[in-house]
Amino acid sequence: MSAIFESLPGIEVPVGAISGHLAKLWTNDRADGEAAADPEGARATQLNVVMHFGLNTTPEDAAAQFRVISAFSKRYPSRIVVLCPLRADVAATELRAKVFGECHIGKSKSDKRCVEFVMLSYSRSARPFLESAVSVCLSTDLPLYYWAHSFSTSGGLADYRFLLGRSKRVLIDSARSPADALGFPWPNASALRDLVYSRLLPVRQGIGQFLSVYPPALLVEGLRAVTIQHAAALVAESRVVSNWLSRRLAACGADPARVNFVAATRPAELRAGLVVSFDYTTSGRFFRWTGDFAEGQALFEADFGSGRTTLAAATSLLNPENALSEAMFF
Amino acid sequence: MSDSPRHPFLHGLSKHRGAPPTVVVIFGASGDLTARKLIPAVYNLSIDGLLPADFYLVGYGRKPIPDEEFRTLAAGAIKEFSRRELDADAWGRVAANTSYVAGGYDERPAFDRLAAHLAAIEKKLGRDVQRLFYISTPPSVFGPILQNLGASGLAAKHLGRPHHAKVIIEKPFGKDLTSARELNTTIRSVFAEHQVYRIDHYLGKETVQDLLVQRFANAIFEPLWNRNFIDSVQITVAEEVGVGTRGGYYEESGCLRDMIQNHTMQLLALTAMEPPGSLDAEAIRDEKVKVLKAIQPLTIGPAGDVARAQYAGGMVVGKPVPGYLEEDGIAVQSGTETYAAMRLSINNWRWQGVPFYLRSGKRMARRVSEIAINFRRPPGTLFAGETARFDLAGNTLSFQIQPDEGLSLILNAKVPGLETRTQPVKMSFRYATTFGSNTAEAYERLVLDAMVGDGTLFIRGDEAEASWKLCTPVLDYWRSVGRTGMDSYAAGSWGPPSADALLSKQQHIWRQP
Repeated sequence: MSAIFESLPGIEVPVGAISGHLAKLWTNDRADGEAAADPEGARATQLNVVMHFGLNTTPEDAAAQFRVISAFSKRYPSRIVVLCPLRADVAATELRAKVFGECHIGKSKSDKRCVEFVMLSYSRSARPFLESAVSVCLSTDLPLYYWAHSFSTSGGLADYRFLLGRSKRVLIDSARSPADALGFPWPNASALRDLVYSRLLPVRQGIGQFLSVYPPALLVEGLRAVTIQHAAALVAESRVVSNWLSRRLAACGADPARVNFVAATRPAELRAGLVVSFDYTTSGRFFRWTGDFAEGQALFEADFGSGRTTLAAATSLLNPENALSEAMFF
Repeated sequence: MSDSPRHPFLHGLSKHRGAPPTVVVIFGASGDLTARKLIPAVYNLSIDGLLPADFYLVGYGRKPIPDEEFRTLAAGAIKEFSRRELDADAWGRVAANTSYVAGGYDERPAFDRLAAHLAAIEKKLGRDVQRLFYISTPPSVFGPILQNLGASGLAAKHLGRPHHAKVIIEKPFGKDLTSARELNTTIRSVFAEHQVYRIDHYLGKETVQDLLVQRFANAIFEPLWNRNFIDSVQITVAEEVGVGTRGGYYEESGCLRDMIQNHTMQLLALTAMEPPGSLDAEAIRDEKVKVLKAIQPLTIGPAGDVARAQYAGGMVVGKPVPGYLEEDGIAVQSGTETYAAMRLSINNWRWQGVPFYLRSGKRMARRVSEIAINFRRPPGTLFAGETARFDLAGNTLSFQIQPDEGLSLILNAKVPGLETRTQPVKMSFRYATTFGSNTAEAYERLVLDAMVGDGTLFIRGDEAEASWKLCTPVLDYWRSVGRTGMDSYAAGSWGPPSADALLSKQQHIWRQP
């Protein structure tokens, strides 16, 4: 069954004729019979993205993630190749392709960008041919980014060395990946980026800006515990915030052996959010950040010995397409 | 601040995501620039999540305006001028921290009230707050504002710490070399140079910043970027509009002061400067100053290096428009130029003998700003002789700064067919096509740069003086001769014959971009 492949838009074409059909996408006649305007000037591919659905991906999820990459391509026109493994594998070597194109019209006359997608469905036995099939779909000389979504095992993904090794960045979402994914010995480990970390940019920025006003030594003096409470759905976010705080506090001079990091599920009143607390040995000193992503509100409360500060602010998680660009380019 | 080591909690965040708690105080808060550019810039920075949580906006002006009315005016400005629609929630967060202080610019007690207002914000917040003063007023009150910022202690607030007070000053930075030096003396009596951000919004434009990237991040251009390969350079900053309602201001200013001395000279400096040692603000500004100082003094007078003109009546976008002397607020015998052009020579190893042509004007054929690098023709006669068959253009690399930002390169190519024929073809890169057109405006970038203490895209005092040193003798000469030598051009045209004559000596002609 090729349920993922079927859930995606496009026109099915022979694998050997992908390039020709991509070109033909833009040369069809208009409805009035006149030749369509040449969009050559509007195709401005900046990068290649290979979006690889894992075996844990459902057709509904695939369609949702496709909307994310489509939204991303509005801002960053890309050549996008979507790899769709057959969930119920077949013995025969099967490789099928679909092509799809869309143009985004902006505010100005010149703001028109056209993007091309190639969807490839493949059986397990077709894997040896996948590298060649993907290579002819990519735009030559432009950087390659690889987004592996909902894969079932890290070891299985490691078979795709031609993508892992050549990509400028490899993107995974640790909330939807095997437990060993972040620590797996990938061929190009320094290129790995976690989309959870990217989604948390507004949180890291908000807390970072707030705390950066205080001398580093003051932040860690007498620090005994860091507690992160999280809504039930934000386990991965809690883990990533905890790791980030641990690194930042160590850079401020904290002794990791003396600071207790605690993660706990937040009571139900915080439907979608996190609470970060620093506890100190000195009475009255504290820091607390409460972020409610459903309401888009955050509250800073702190006293580092010079009086209590309370500050309301906006907060959010980055939306998926912005998290992608953050992970790719920053 | 950019020189200080970053706080560990800012590690991993881009420079622009690390602004400290800040209060922006706008002098001239009820003015046109505030409504058109500054308020929308603050709003868009808020939408993009680039303002710190503890951001405050304070308007300051002579006219008493209640806080609520100022917030309503600001919301109206966003509706009219912002690149994004007004989002009530997003604006509400900024509006909640927006207030107004009324007072004269030369009224010391009013500055004490302002200082108390800012101190109250700081006290309420319980944290140090950076003061960023934006002087968006007529130049006649620059001096009193600066002096009162000094006398009230506002200029020295938090000095010696990364969030020290900063000041952004809008052009003009003087009206000649003497007044520019006086202004710098006033500024430096109150602020250290590293606290000062002289703004030229052209430097915030993407294509202008891209000029450095194109020159120094691509190996193919820099080896050619010199007298051996470049024949001439043309820099054009053309406006389609006339003086409109700004006749009174323009009569005192003129094109040389209004456009050439600042925008156009900055474009020249970025085009001609040597590679800086780093991307550090001072390294880049040092190189800009060096090249400005290397420009040979202009020959002034008949058949010299400068042309000036006023627009006469003509047609613009198919409609008849009056000449400059018929506009409201213009003296009958006005000696103010609406167009200026220059031929410059740079006396250094790289540019000796390469003419740089600069021009700017109002009521020109279209609104366009560009830098065009004209390369020398290839040697030999391989394709010479048969001009009908071999239509060859010089290679021109042009950076279009506005509108339709991008760059293009003219190459010669073979026309398909059995016979060998050639034809110039244009390779283009358009920002809007590749990156979309809804990108940050220059003021957004520049206000944020000042908030995080990055002066790279601002003009240093000695840069402004170097540019005035070149232009002031021209202004002095024009003043001494009155209208003598003032040329004219039809509104809607590309300029006067005297400007064409500047180029004709070297068989060059102006582009019509």
